[in-house]
Amino acid sequence: MKKIFAITWKDILLRFTSAWELLFFIVLPIVFTFLLAGGTPSGDEDPRISLLVVDEANTAISRQIVGELENSTAVLPEVVTRAEAQSQFDDRRADAVFFIPSGIDIGSLQNGSAEVELLQQPNNINATVAERAILTAIRRVSSSVAAAQNAVEQRQARQAFGSEAERQAFFESSLEMAQSIQEAAPERVTVVEGLVEDEVDYDPRANTSAGQLITWVFIPLFGISASFAYERQKGTLQRLLTTPSSKATFLFGTIFGQVLMALLQMLLLVSFGIIAMKLNWGREPFALFVVLLASALAAAAFGTTMGTFIKTEGQANGLSVMFGMVFAMMGGCWYPLELFPPAVQNAVRVLPTTWAMQGMLDLLLRGGGLPEILPEAGVLLGFAVIFFSVGAWRFRYE
Amino acid sequence: MLKLLLIGLKDLRLMFRDRAALTFMLLAPFLLTVGMGFVTGRFSGGSSGLSDIPVIVVNLDNDQLGDVLAEAFSSQELADLMEPTASSDPEAARRLIDEDQAAAAVIIPEGFTRSVIPAAGTAFDPNYVEPEPVQIEVYANPSRPTSAGVVKAIVDEFVSRVEEGRTSGMTSMLALASSGLLDPQDMEGEARQLFENVEQSESTAITLKKSQEGAQAVEFDILAYMAPGMALMFLMYTVSYGGRSILAERSQGTLPRLLVSPTSASQVLGGKVLGIFFMGVAQIGILILASSVFFGLEWGDTPGLLLLILAAVFGATGWGMLITALSRTPGQVGSIGSAMMLIFGILGGSFINLDQMPAAIRTFSKITPNAWGLDGFTTLALGGTLPSLVEPIGALLIMGAVLFGIAVLLFNRQGMMQN
Repeated sequence: MKKIFAITWKDILLRFTSAWELLFFIVLPIVFTFLLAGGTPSGDEDPRISLLVVDEANTAISRQIVGELENSTAVLPEVVTRAEAQSQFDDRRADAVFFIPSGIDIGSLQNGSAEVELLQQPNNINATVAERAILTAIRRVSSSVAAAQNAVEQRQARQAFGSEAERQAFFESSLEMAQSIQEAAPERVTVVEGLVEDEVDYDPRANTSAGQLITWVFIPLFGISASFAYERQKGTLQRLLTTPSSKATFLFGTIFGQVLMALLQMLLLVSFGIIAMKLNWGREPFALFVVLLASALAAAAFGTTMGTFIKTEGQANGLSVMFGMVFAMMGGCWYPLELFPPAVQNAVRVLPTTWAMQGMLDLLLRGGGLPEILPEAGVLLGFAVIFFSVGAWRFRYE
Repeated sequence: MLKLLLIGLKDLRLMFRDRAALTFMLLAPFLLTVGMGFVTGRFSGGSSGLSDIPVIVVNLDNDQLGDVLAEAFSSQELADLMEPTASSDPEAARRLIDEDQAAAAVIIPEGFTRSVIPAAGTAFDPNYVEPEPVQIEVYANPSRPTSAGVVKAIVDEFVSRVEEGRTSGMTSMLALASSGLLDPQDMEGEARQLFENVEQSESTAITLKKSQEGAQAVEFDILAYMAPGMALMFLMYTVSYGGRSILAERSQGTLPRLLVSPTSASQVLGGKVLGIFFMGVAQIGILILASSVFFGLEWGDTPGLLLLILAAVFGATGWGMLITALSRTPGQVGSIGSAMMLIFGILGGSFINLDQMPAAIRTFSKITPNAWGLDGFTTLALGGTLPSLVEPIGALLIMGAVLFGIAVLLFNRQGMMQN
């Protein structure tokens, strides 16, 4: 045991010889988590997509459209001048600009000449979302006018109006009626968040926190391969042959040290998530520990196996960063896995990052506990067993 | 000049011999671009990677509106987007969502249709009691927020149409009733007809005219943003790799040996810088070529593209030289270079669109070659030509020149420019 601790301590000293290591250990992971979460540590900011609105009509109808957009759950309208909107759009700082030209009033709606304009950045998902929100808003505003017009037509079909004034009066009273019916309409859809109702508030930043934790912890664990290559290149592994230390002791000491540091790094990042981002990391501490430990073991085992294939430290450094980044991305740590095609979603089950991410999301977003994360922890430990076995079998001092 | 070129080409040859470095410089950005292509739907032809969203539809209403909504999820229009499964057990459906088997469950309760459309002949029954509003439940999977959001949007759209029909029907009923023109039974029939034609109800009082600037000139390919984003990020690694070689030559003693030859220190340094520049151009060039060949990516105006590549590499090389001048050992250059690669990557928009960042960060991002480079590549992808690239190219050239100046001053102070 003393030997294992000595090897562990040696690895910690080696890793933190340069103060730059702290940058990768804690500074960059926090910066990335902060920025990718939108730089919104309080989580109180309006999550809606910003939509620039140019209201040149400034009529009751145009204000009603803007009001409907303000009620939207998807967009946050900001009324600006045409020049300001055009400038922001040209600089690609605005995904979409909605123009309500002058002349949009009840009369234009009645005679069917009302036309509004939407300027969208090409191939931009936010612009598409804005379009849906605008269509819903103008549909709501239009529908009361359409309903009133329909009532006018029904009335006309049964008894002609005596004058245009009578027709207009009937239209206006019908419009008022339609608007009050619309306002009194009950909510017909309710959205319930799965499992987490009343227990965990859904927070999209949880994805970022978990994803960045995995990314920044897995890369140095894959880097165990670099530590093996370094010692092999320097000949220090060969020197171990002259000591009464077994291969198992050396491997266990190295891996134990790296896993210990990974757990410390995870603890710091989880603390950042709890304190700065107010995320629910601490809800099930034991289950969290299990999933973190299983993830760290799986990644360390992969690094051990890599170390037996790679010859130089330079190769190992490059490949561990590359594998770390690619595995993280494909495992859903950077973008939700739901955005990937179904075939890719199935294929990436071979990656430990996928299971680590699922386990953490079970705890953070799905309100799960120990029973819910056991399958993911089991798979991660399975990875660990396989890769440690391959690593130990292939490990050579020279 | 010939000496500079020879030293530069020698370093370029060395880079191509380092398989590990090549893997990192070329394979990593390529693989990450592939991943981005999946996420953005580039390889599946959509505007996002979303497709075949698993949704469970529980229709307990089994009446007119419930049936229409259930059928909407199986419609041809949504065939690529949705993968609906019918169920009759709301609890089982919720359980499947909790187990992450689907993105959302749409539970249409019994009596939904009746809560919107009263049964025939009941609306004017003096004993008729308006039913309590019945709500459709969207049971959403919190770990699939985007897919669940799409499901909710479809349900919202449907309900909006239902409400439109209801408003129209009721307005007609009430307006005509207040005029005393129609028999109440007839009015109910008319109103029901509007409800029943929910799918056809379309408000045309306001028309939405859409336009996409730049889309007419050239169809924007999202990979034209993602691929250069990744290439520019890994370019920072390449320039620090080159910088590392300068310090490595000094620590290994090959630099003093070079200085014994009739080559001045500034020529050696200039040659090394040229080597870094060549490496950067080779890396970006290969990545651009590969994405054109494998993904059919159109990069836009060729002269603009070539100048932009040269300017972006020049700007990045400036950073590489500054890092080298500030470091004492090759290891330090490697550490700072990797950190800069990641920091500039995120600040420059390689991971997420800069528009999603706070304004202060967007301003700060202007110090990175990534932000200016990406700006230029996006302009090209949107059909821009050389004249529209003046700003990013100018900024990159100024950045490179200023950083070179600072690096040369620092090298001078360290005596690296003296024989």
